[in-house]
Amino acid sequence: MKKLRVFRHFSLVLLTSLILGACAPATPQTVVQTVEVEKTVIETQIVEKTTVVEVEKVVEVTPTPGPHPEAVISGVEAGAEISLWTFWLSPTFDDYIKSTIARFQEAYPGVTVNWEDHQATFQDDLRNSFAADNAPDVINLSISEGWVSDYATQGLLLPLDDVVPQDVVSTYFPNLWDQQLVDSKHYQFPWYQGIIVNLVNTQILTEAGLTIEDFPKTIDALPAFCQTIKAETGTLCDIRLTVNDLLAQMTYEGGVQVINEDGTAFTFDSPEAVAWLQLYVDMVKAGTVDRNVLVTDQDRVGLDLFTTGKAAFYNTGPNLIREVRANNPGLYGYLAVVPAPVGKSGVVGKGLMALSVKGDTAYPMASIALAQFFSNPRSMLEFSKIVSIYPSTPASYDDPFFSAAPVAIEDSAKPYAKDAVSKLADIVPTVPHKADVNNIVLQAAQQALFNNVDPQQALTDAVAQANALLP
Amino acid sequence: MSSRPAARSHQAAVIRKNLENLFLYIVLVLVAVITVFPFVWVFFTSFKGVTDPIYSVPPQLIPNAPTIDNYLRVWQQLPVWRFYINSIFVTLTIVVLNALFSSLAAYPLAKMRFRGREAFFFLLLATYIVPPVLTSIPSFVLAVKVFDYYDKIRSVIFPYLAGVLSIFLMRQAFKGVPDDLLDAGRIDGASELRIWWEIVMPVVRPSLATVAIITFVEQWNNFFWPSLMLHTREHMTLQVGLVALQGAFANDARGIAAGVVMTVVPMIVFFALLQQQFVRGLTGAVKG
Amino acid sequence: MTSKFSITPYLFLAPALLVIAVFVLYPILAVVYYSFTDYNIVTPPVWVGLRNYQQLAKDPIFWQALKHSFIYLLVTPTLIFLSVLLAIVVNRKLSGIHAFRALFFIPVISGSIAVGIAWRLMLDTNGIINGMLIALGLLSEPIQWLAEPAYTLPIAMLLTIWLGLGYYMMIFLAGLQNIPEELYDAALIDGCNNWQKHWYISIPGLRPQITFVAVISSLAALQVFNEIFILTGGLGGILNSGVTVVFYLWRQAFRLQHAGMASAIAMVLLVITLLFSMMNIRILERGTEAES
Repeated sequence: MKKLRVFRHFSLVLLTSLILGACAPATPQTVVQTVEVEKTVIETQIVEKTTVVEVEKVVEVTPTPGPHPEAVISGVEAGAEISLWTFWLSPTFDDYIKSTIARFQEAYPGVTVNWEDHQATFQDDLRNSFAADNAPDVINLSISEGWVSDYATQGLLLPLDDVVPQDVVSTYFPNLWDQQLVDSKHYQFPWYQGIIVNLVNTQILTEAGLTIEDFPKTIDALPAFCQTIKAETGTLCDIRLTVNDLLAQMTYEGGVQVINEDGTAFTFDSPEAVAWLQLYVDMVKAGTVDRNVLVTDQDRVGLDLFTTGKAAFYNTGPNLIREVRANNPGLYGYLAVVPAPVGKSGVVGKGLMALSVKGDTAYPMASIALAQFFSNPRSMLEFSKIVSIYPSTPASYDDPFFSAAPVAIEDSAKPYAKDAVSKLADIVPTVPHKADVNNIVLQAAQQALFNNVDPQQALTDAVAQANALLP
Repeated sequence: MSSRPAARSHQAAVIRKNLENLFLYIVLVLVAVITVFPFVWVFFTSFKGVTDPIYSVPPQLIPNAPTIDNYLRVWQQLPVWRFYINSIFVTLTIVVLNALFSSLAAYPLAKMRFRGREAFFFLLLATYIVPPVLTSIPSFVLAVKVFDYYDKIRSVIFPYLAGVLSIFLMRQAFKGVPDDLLDAGRIDGASELRIWWEIVMPVVRPSLATVAIITFVEQWNNFFWPSLMLHTREHMTLQVGLVALQGAFANDARGIAAGVVMTVVPMIVFFALLQQQFVRGLTGAVKG
Repeated sequence: MTSKFSITPYLFLAPALLVIAVFVLYPILAVVYYSFTDYNIVTPPVWVGLRNYQQLAKDPIFWQALKHSFIYLLVTPTLIFLSVLLAIVVNRKLSGIHAFRALFFIPVISGSIAVGIAWRLMLDTNGIINGMLIALGLLSEPIQWLAEPAYTLPIAMLLTIWLGLGYYMMIFLAGLQNIPEELYDAALIDGCNNWQKHWYISIPGLRPQITFVAVISSLAALQVFNEIFILTGGLGGILNSGVTVVFYLWRQAFRLQHAGMASAIAMVLLVITLLFSMMNIRILERGTEAES
């Protein structure tokens, strides 16, 4: 009987606490105030915002003499509370992010920033948060995986064309600013860039009787290279297809035109496309590539294979050398870095990372300010000093840091970095129904790669399916 | 004269018995090895430092230089203890409330006569076949747009507060309670609620235990719905946190191994301590 | 029993009914509606009539998923067979038997996610499974276990069996312990040996447990998701070799943002499970009647 009473009390308490917990008030909806913004002429000590404003707005007073040099965005909402999501940056760069946020808050006092980092589940989390109506205000999106145009075509990002002042726009490399346009509108601030290189395991190379000079300069030379490596050492090539954006990959590597000029029909069954797919089909048939890595959607899986010393090379940015060093110090000792092979398009790659602003954000100017702040010359220079990424702003390269001779292997791209980054370009046209079409292409590619379907046939069928989605 | 063949056949019987036992032990050990091997491997891998190869031919099981670095790394990066607390809270709440609500619902279905009793019962039974994944899409919309509990712990509790299986099992149990007990209570003038709580429930305690255990195992392992709802680390349950761990340490097998060990070992210890109760509870499934 | 109207039964039913109405009944109606729309959760649904169903009928991957789900049902008889066997072996007073029983239950306790992750690490191309097979000389080259389309589903099924063995063994063990000793003694007197003893007594005696396990195991097999998700990541296996109906539903709803299409898939799944359960419930009712 006593046990029963205890049980009864316990369950009552539980029930009560549950009900109380469930009755907690929902977070109040933030009211978006439409504010007219004019460019202020900044003079002397008091920064005054000339805005048409409701009662609550406060005249900001900067504590230091002269305006904060990095506060270039005006009209930042006072008391704004915005959230920032970064991709795979924690815990390694916790200090950098936090100190940059602190500096941001000095430049724009009164703005609170909530920072979250997401890794492998970034996309799932982001999609779910959009559906749940609580997506972050400022989002670190991957240009290389094509996320900016993904979300922009769904109308989820804020167009930047009319709200970002021209003098801010001109701080970036034009090629990088003009990336992932949707209907000729801009949706991203270019953030840190990577020079795509190949990390090379020199031990395996030597075992295969090859030297660094033998490393292929073009994509077309890869199959033969992998064949030699497999024959001499038994290791497989560690090559990844960007399974969520094959259209982009075939554009860069195969020089393929994926959709016609006026966007009325898909054209990725052209001879160039077939040749591109055939290259991979041949490698799979010859058994020279690791299939797991080929179709994984996690870049880290490919990195893992290389880090364990089981692959001759891996295509990535020098900034990930830190992962190799942490997980396999022995390999770090005989690592080499070579520029990545170029595809038929002649363009090595597109940008790496960007910062975008959520379309229905309650604090557009504050969000823009944060995105711009992280991608301004000083922030990116500081980032470059702690890891081998490269700024998207030409001004950063004037710093002596970039003209100093490279010391560690991670820095070997430094001397030619500015040149390389300025040449990164987005050559993929706007693709309607991008996620669905890429899924169709992925299925077709798998049929050709693993099921002995003729690549031409697979691609032609895929084009037919994709065209059915167009209006 | 007659004793010697008897002694010999007795001896033969003993030998046969021993051989039989040996055979059984071999089978048991074989199955145990197969069952436990992945855990053993993960356990040893979690203690390997960066210089200890985990991929090698011939494979090396025992680490050369054991270290707890991997555990420290995972502990610093992921709130594993929070995963535990969330899972325990969610699972216990559901187990208690589910048993409560299901027992409440099963009582009239078993022991009272009222309009629509059969209809209710068949309606409930029909919902058993509805796959959980089917309800996930509208539930997602509900969670986000109506109840506003996306990314909150209660989102993974409310949908499971009543289950048709529990109701069914409790109804079976209640049916086994003799009506005389209830009539005695009614004659005394007790309300149905008191009869239910003080007379009937104690009798069906074994079935309650069964329902509790089945619900516990189900909820502890629940992944699909929580993975849709919980996205902030601090709110994740264990299973969702494990997948987050796998993502966060994708190229760090030792870290994954450490994380898996951290999430599995406490449960194993817990179970080992309560083993008797578990078995006794599952015995109730028979009687129910 | 009183014949006047009493609200009491309804009060008892209320909490459970409320939960079921909100979280089961309403979603069914909603899913029926969504299945006729094009819906991506972020923007309001757009009515499209039967288009989702028509596309589904022509979708080769959907049929593949159906096929895989049905193949997956093979785990149920396998599990029942192995678990019963194991329960019989474990149902004796050998010393240390409790330790063995506990060991077999460990996979259940650890959860499908943890175990799945462990398996994935072990089945890596350079993982320990390949390592051992090569060291033993059974393989010359490592097999890419999780990248061979033909192996994906069998590996997942093996994982499911491996996970369920301890759980169902416990249920059958409890059942065996309820079979009266006298039956076995009578059989011995009649001259049955060990195997006949089990065939004629243990297994019929386990009828209620077998039907119970058959129901929950087959429903779980039709709806498998965790194992596929963990072993294949979000991909579902090369050439969709691991895609089951629920996995395909998840992909449509939460990867490709086609909640309408996913709802149509859910309706199909509902019909399948309905047919299955009707079969099972009929057997269950018959079994319970036989008992009483």
